[in-house]
Amino acid sequence: MHERLILVVYTVVNRPMNDWRRIVVHADMDAFYASVEQLDDPSLRGKPVLIGPNSYRGVVLTASYEARPYGVGSAMPVAEARRRCPDAIMVSPRIGRYQEISRQIMQIFTDFSPSVEALSLDEAFLEMSGSMHIFGSPERIGRKIKDAVLNATGLNISVGISGTKYVAKVASAHEKPNGLTVVPQSSAEAWLAPMPVSRLWGVGVKTAPRLHAIGLTTIGEVAAADLRFLVHHLGSQGAHFHALAQARDPRKVNRIKGARSLGSDRTLHKDISAREEIEIHLRRSAERIARRLRARDYMARGVRIRLKTNRFVLLSRQQQLSKPTDTADDFHVVARQLLDHLIGQGPFRLVGMAVFDLSWRHDPLQLDLFADGTIRKLETTMDKLAARFGRDVVIRARDLGRSGTVSGPGVNLDFLDEREGERVTRPER
Amino acid sequence: MKFSLNREALLRPLQQVSGVVERRQTLPVLANVLLQVSTDQLSMTGTDLEVELVGRVPLTGAEAGDITVPARKLMDICREIPDKAEIDFELSGSRLEIRSGRFRSTLSTLPAVDFPSVDRAAVELSSSFDSKAFKKLLDSTSFAMAQQDVRYFLNGMLIEVGEGMVKSVATDGHRLAMSQQTANTTNEGVKQVIVPRKGVLELQRLLNELEGDVDIAIGANHLCASSAEYTLTTKLVDGRFPEYERVIPKNGDKIVYADRQELRQALNRTAILSNEKFRGIRVNFSKGVIQLSANNPEQEEAEETVSVEYDGESLEIGFNVSYLQDVLGILESDKVRLTVHDANSSALVENPDDEDSVYVVMPMKL
Repeated sequence: MHERLILVVYTVVNRPMNDWRRIVVHADMDAFYASVEQLDDPSLRGKPVLIGPNSYRGVVLTASYEARPYGVGSAMPVAEARRRCPDAIMVSPRIGRYQEISRQIMQIFTDFSPSVEALSLDEAFLEMSGSMHIFGSPERIGRKIKDAVLNATGLNISVGISGTKYVAKVASAHEKPNGLTVVPQSSAEAWLAPMPVSRLWGVGVKTAPRLHAIGLTTIGEVAAADLRFLVHHLGSQGAHFHALAQARDPRKVNRIKGARSLGSDRTLHKDISAREEIEIHLRRSAERIARRLRARDYMARGVRIRLKTNRFVLLSRQQQLSKPTDTADDFHVVARQLLDHLIGQGPFRLVGMAVFDLSWRHDPLQLDLFADGTIRKLETTMDKLAARFGRDVVIRARDLGRSGTVSGPGVNLDFLDEREGERVTRPER
Repeated sequence: MKFSLNREALLRPLQQVSGVVERRQTLPVLANVLLQVSTDQLSMTGTDLEVELVGRVPLTGAEAGDITVPARKLMDICREIPDKAEIDFELSGSRLEIRSGRFRSTLSTLPAVDFPSVDRAAVELSSSFDSKAFKKLLDSTSFAMAQQDVRYFLNGMLIEVGEGMVKSVATDGHRLAMSQQTANTTNEGVKQVIVPRKGVLELQRLLNELEGDVDIAIGANHLCASSAEYTLTTKLVDGRFPEYERVIPKNGDKIVYADRQELRQALNRTAILSNEKFRGIRVNFSKGVIQLSANNPEQEEAEETVSVEYDGESLEIGFNVSYLQDVLGILESDKVRLTVHDANSSALVENPDDEDSVYVVMPMKL
């Protein structure tokens, strides 16, 4: 009897809101780095601002909304961006500051939902299913999140809400900046229909022409297409696009704590091809990365190296480790093994390294029979020395006299986050 | 080159030899099997440059010759030919003709001279072992070998041959398995070699087939196992295996005796709700019982109490449950002895009636 009563109440509450059996929120800061700089420095407000290294060989990380009408966007070479928008003010990135604000934002998100999946410093999914009795309608949920972020940081965030991750993400970009778009599941397919296929998750510069070639230019056309036809032309991806186009996306919001990868790319001021020279960069990267990991209590279980040739071909190799680690020594050993596969395809203009598959140091940790912790002790001691006396106070004997080639004016582009196959320096919508 | 033989005589050795051939190769000829025919013997060789396996079959009235043909296709054809059928092979031009009954086919070939062989330095030690006993030696420890570990010397098995004994040791850094047995080896001192993972797996597969003795010969960079029908040669891993004796715990002061099957089944049940990524499980030792408990990120939980012989103080240790399951699956005894010290020290798992195999499992910090 008792159980039956509860069941009745449940159906009464939910029947008029059948559209919101699932509520997924995608929240994305507007021109994040640029907005932070404009917030901190009033003289930049209302002006075109480019965040990026002050070098003609680097790329723009973020362009403020004032700069965008000039056709300037993220990942554009700095030289090109300055040509298009000569009045733009170049500002060097302050990743530490962005991380600080990111932590505030993520904290706010967790006030709304226990399931927050951070995609990058300034972007996350929130699972809000069943929370209408706490926060009200989806519109009210979105408004509350926007207000909370604005009150805490002084910055605008765009929010999209729907019944799936995919539609929520499209919705958040729909009315940027400072947008709030709510798309009930029942009208999601129709809402997507007129959009170009490039808005399908996973359709990029390579796949879009393939869809055009088989006569599909809008998402609605993909939704209406025969599944077998799509699979025939695109393989299993075809089925995936078909489902997305029909607003079907069963993926759950995964609570991922913090970042997915951490690394640094360095565009060199002079192309190099000698193994020893590349290795020095990799070792320096390994040390930087390990230090940053330890500072955040992260461990990583994957290592990736990236080399860009002087003909702008980006080569990359990665390897999974048998268990997470946070020592530069481990990363460097793997990076050197990976380099074996790529060496000889140079000269290279960019050397990068990243670690991925991040976990907390406080996650369950398998103890090792042989590692006695000496290397980690050495490295944490060096961390302390660096913190007290500056980064270059200790240097590996091997690198004595070679540091000149390393700490030249090359541009170092540290990043904390990337989505699968995509950099944080992605083009913003 | 021309020879005939019965499908049954050919198929088993051909399957063994083809097993060594990798599906993806760096050289086209590595997809092939080398056929060397003399008047009274066919010898077939497959290799991936690290492991090489030769299988021999007696022939009568053959015409000699050497050639290589695609291993997988040859094996698939022979498998599909009816039981007990005679199969005729003849090299004509650059094709190998295969006939059986009304079936006829021609396979492409590559010259035998292009077929690479594994380097063998001078043999430094050779001895004969009972093949079933030697197989048991490998089977007792191979599960603990690392896989694609950065510490490449762990991606294999240490074989240690001393006077009158042979030992196998495998470890992935998280757990270690060691097994030894008496042997009629006569060398002085101790010879240690690391056999790569694939070499161990192929050797185990081969020993399944063998009856009687297997001859083991060890050189500076290879190990060779041979019988009348087969010769398996594997390169060795050039590296230093960690000092395994050092990590076999001596300070264990808390000793537990449990029924192996009962504990194993309880672990199997509890493991289902452990975190899929970390596989962590809590093991609580107290007087007369072990309590196992696990939970996953969905907050699903499992726990079970197992009666044991234990009279020490209470203690909780976290483990990767898979490592305990592996050991309890390999042991064959009714009882199992666990020796532990504290939550940060390695645990010893043994058959109480068999001093020859030792299993060490490092705990997990949960």
